[in-house]
This record gives sequence, C-alpha cells and structure tokens, in this order.
Amino acid sequence: MKKVAIVGIGHGKFGIRSDACLRELVFEAVKACLEDAGIALKEVDSMVTGVAGDEFSFGIQPSAQVHDYIGFYPKPNFRVEGACATGSVALRTGWMNIVSGLADVVLVVGVEKMTEVPTSMATEIMGRAGDSIWEYPFGTTFPGYYAMIANAHMAEYGTTEEQLAMVAVKNHHYGCLNPYAQMQKEITLDKALTSFIVAHPLKLFDCSLITDGAAAVLLASEEKARAISKKPVWVAGLGCATDAMRMGDRKSLTSLQASLEAARTAYKMAGVGPSDIDIATVHDCFTIAEIVAYEDLGFCEKGEGGKLIEAKETYAEGRIPVNVDGGLKSKGHPLGATGVSMAIEITKQLRGEAGPRQVKEPEIGLTHNVGGSGQVALIHIFRRE
Amino acid sequence: MSADPARWHSSTSSGGNRMEFKNFSLYINQTKVNRFAGELAAGKLMSTLCKKCGRQYYPPQADCPSCMGSEMEWKELKAEGGLVTFTRIHVPPEHFAVRQPLMPFSSVQFEPCPIGLIRVEKGLTIMGWIPKVDIKKIRIGMKMKASPFTLPDGKITIVLEPI
Repeated sequence: MKKVAIVGIGHGKFGIRSDACLRELVFEAVKACLEDAGIALKEVDSMVTGVAGDEFSFGIQPSAQVHDYIGFYPKPNFRVEGACATGSVALRTGWMNIVSGLADVVLVVGVEKMTEVPTSMATEIMGRAGDSIWEYPFGTTFPGYYAMIANAHMAEYGTTEEQLAMVAVKNHHYGCLNPYAQMQKEITLDKALTSFIVAHPLKLFDCSLITDGAAAVLLASEEKARAISKKPVWVAGLGCATDAMRMGDRKSLTSLQASLEAARTAYKMAGVGPSDIDIATVHDCFTIAEIVAYEDLGFCEKGEGGKLIEAKETYAEGRIPVNVDGGLKSKGHPLGATGVSMAIEITKQLRGEAGPRQVKEPEIGLTHNVGGSGQVALIHIFRRE
Repeated sequence: MSADPARWHSSTSSGGNRMEFKNFSLYINQTKVNRFAGELAAGKLMSTLCKKCGRQYYPPQADCPSCMGSEMEWKELKAEGGLVTFTRIHVPPEHFAVRQPLMPFSSVQFEPCPIGLIRVEKGLTIMGWIPKVDIKKIRIGMKMKASPFTLPDGKITIVLEPI
C-alpha cells in the first residue's frame, strides 16, 4: 500500500469567532497550512472539506463556500460528515484519495461555525444528533448522553466525580499553554466540582465548549512528501467503526464499542499496541469520555481510567500523555475541525515543535475522534521518520 | 402490518386510534410505525416482531435487518426491568427550554425531571421520564416499569416508575 504523510499543518484560533464567517475561518487555516508546507495552492491536486452541521451556520453546501473563497476551483472538493468525528472522516478520505492514486497532494480542511445560533439552539441541534425519533422526545442533549455513560461507569467501577474533575483540571492546564485554545484559564478541582450541573452528574467544567474554528492539514504521497517536507509525519494506521444509533441498543454503556473496534483495526494496521503509543489526543467532549477512552484504547485496564488520571499518568510527564493541547475541553470543539486539530497536535509533537507542552521525544502518536454519543469512531496512528 | 406500504398510511394502521406520530416524537410525523403513537395513546407500549426470523424490536421497526424481512407483527411489551442508567438534564435543548416569564420582577423555578433507560424482555431497552423518584434515590439496577402517559398538552410519552 502507498505511504501517506502529513506535510503541512495550519490551525486557526478556536473560540467565539464573531469576527469571521465560516469561509474566512477556513482561509486562516489553509494559509497557515500552505505556509507550513512551503507550497502554493496550485500544487494541491484535490481537497476534502469536513463540516458536521449545516444548521449551525445556515451554510448549505459549505464545501462550495470553502473552495470558492480560497480559490481552489475547478479542482475536486467535496464535503464529508461524521458528526463530532467529521474532521477525522475528512482526513481518512484524504488518505484514501492518495492511496487510490487519484491524487498525490490533498488538502484536508475541517471547520465549524457554531455560534451563529444561540447556545440553546446549538444544544438542540446536537441533542437531535442522537436518535431524533426515539431519544430526543425525552429532552436528551449531548451532555445528557454522556451523563448516562458517566452514571453507568460510576456505578460499575466506582469512578468518582473528583476523578472526572481531574480530567478538566489537566486539560485546562494545557489549554493555557496552547495559543489556539478557546479557554486560557487554569481551574482548581474545587471550582470544577462546585460548578453548576449541566446533566447529572456532569457539571459545567465536565463539558467541552461550543466553538468556532478551522484547521487544515496537507497530505502527500511518499514521493511528494519527501520533496515537500523535511519532517513528514506518516499515517501508520487507520481505524473506523460504528455502533447503534440508540444508546439503549449498545452492548455496553461503560465503553464505546466503536472505539474498541476502531482501535483494534488501527493498532493492527500500524503493527503497534497501546504501550507503543507515546502521545495521544482523545475525544474528551466530556470528562467521562476521556476516562472511557483511556480504557477503550488500552492505556489502562477496563474500569481503571479514573485511577489513571488520579495518578497523573496522562500528564505530559506521565506514562501516556493525553490531550496536552487542552483537548476539546479547553481548546474547544468546533465539530468539523476537531479531528484535524487532533492530527495537527500529534504532528507538532512528533516534529518536536509543540513548545511548552512538548512531551519528550515521541515517535508514535494516536488520535481518537468519536462521532455522536459513540455511533462512529475514527482512530489514526502516526509515526515520525 | 403488511409489506404493502400503502396500508401503513391507512387509518387502521394506527390501531384504530388516529394519533399524529409527532405527538410522541415532537418532530417527525412520517414513519412506517406510526401505529406506535396510537397504541401508546391507548395505553399500550408496543414492539414489532419479525414474522420471518422472530427478532423483536423496541423501538418498533418496520424492517428487520437480521433477515432483511419487512413482514412484521405488533406485540405488546412486558415493560418491566432493571434501570440501566439515568440522568437529569438541567440545561435543556431549545425545544424544552423555559422561556423568561413576561411579568417583570417574576421568575420561574426550573426543576427538571430525570430520565432513564430500563432493560426489559429480550434485552430491549425503553427510555422514559422518571417523574416520581428523587434523583438522590435513583439507583442503577432498581426494578421499574414503563407506562404510557398523556401530558396536559395532549402529547404522549413514557414514564418509568419503581415497582
């Protein structure tokens, strides 16, 4: 199979970007990405645009807005979607573009403009991304779905609200070290534990943010990658798996079956196991989701996720650093951009360019991106030379 | 239920009880299992059963992915079982949000109702509101039953109560 590498990265500022519309956010990321790669847009063969929801930004056919505004037409571009995992779906599609031989250099863009609508409307749009017929009539929201996972995990494994809050404290700490993060604020355990309840037992600081933002990576075939970049970061393994729409139809509520299966596939393809991973960005849309991800990815035994954060093993100096870019929790979670942003952090870390949050000489990194309440999961494993 | 789609839209397909499916689902009114809402209004929690392979569905489905069959029959559920999980959503979606009262200097106290999921026969699960149990007293595993409930505005839903 053809080898594919990330040869360029561009990350826009995440936050409440009332200064820019969707296409303008993309321009920032694409410009930075091309500068990083040191090539011009005319050298790019094809493009993939990841946008999760039309309803946030009233942007029907967002991919056209994007290729129009950056001046990419008439070359190929289309939009892909996988809810909160949209960015990783875009990256996977870009990889397929190259491996199939259709293109040698592919621009992968992820973007979401979520704050054009009020928070209550954004909450509703995401709530309906569960099962809109059978779950939404009970007032379900995204925090609600993960709250049900949290209650099940706490009942089965004794995971505590303090352990959930410890994830928030860690990710806020690293968000302060990431200039692109939405939140630049340290929090204390006490502050997290006493914040208002969003969906029992999840509190304000257990929840990720509603964010505007864009991110872009440039993928290239082996030959092109070596010509473009001195530090190509290779895509070593990919995994994608799905699960039932309704939470009640899942095999387990304390792990995500889609994550387990996607991890199995990605580890096998890369020829590595959980202990080989030097750094990971995981889908911490809620603190409980990061704890469940530790377990599903094999960073600890099932049920031990709470203890892993308690022992600070997922800090930059720990056994397996996780979300040292601030995670969705503090960096922000613009749905379509998140998966691309995760790949950017791993690329920076593997290149040794992560600045104050650099972990010590990582060789293998992993991204874990979940769509919905677990309906789809994508995992990518990256290697430096 | 017949495999003939035309029949699903006939008045008899809602169990003789004309009930807009939207009264249950809030948004969606077109489904091949519209009869579910009519039965719910009449006090029954219904599942569907595949005539060919016998797989049972709750929520009801008009089609069976196990054998790709579409010949289903309706079957009332024995809607009792253990609580699988629960939550109480304090920040509701727009649809359920409390509007500011129009009277100056007044306020509305929002006391949300918990929701949960129980596991009944054949591993099927039913989601419902838990209006009568204090959240502090809700325990995963507690035995509950699910029942249809008609709300003051005429909408129909499902409640879970301890047994």
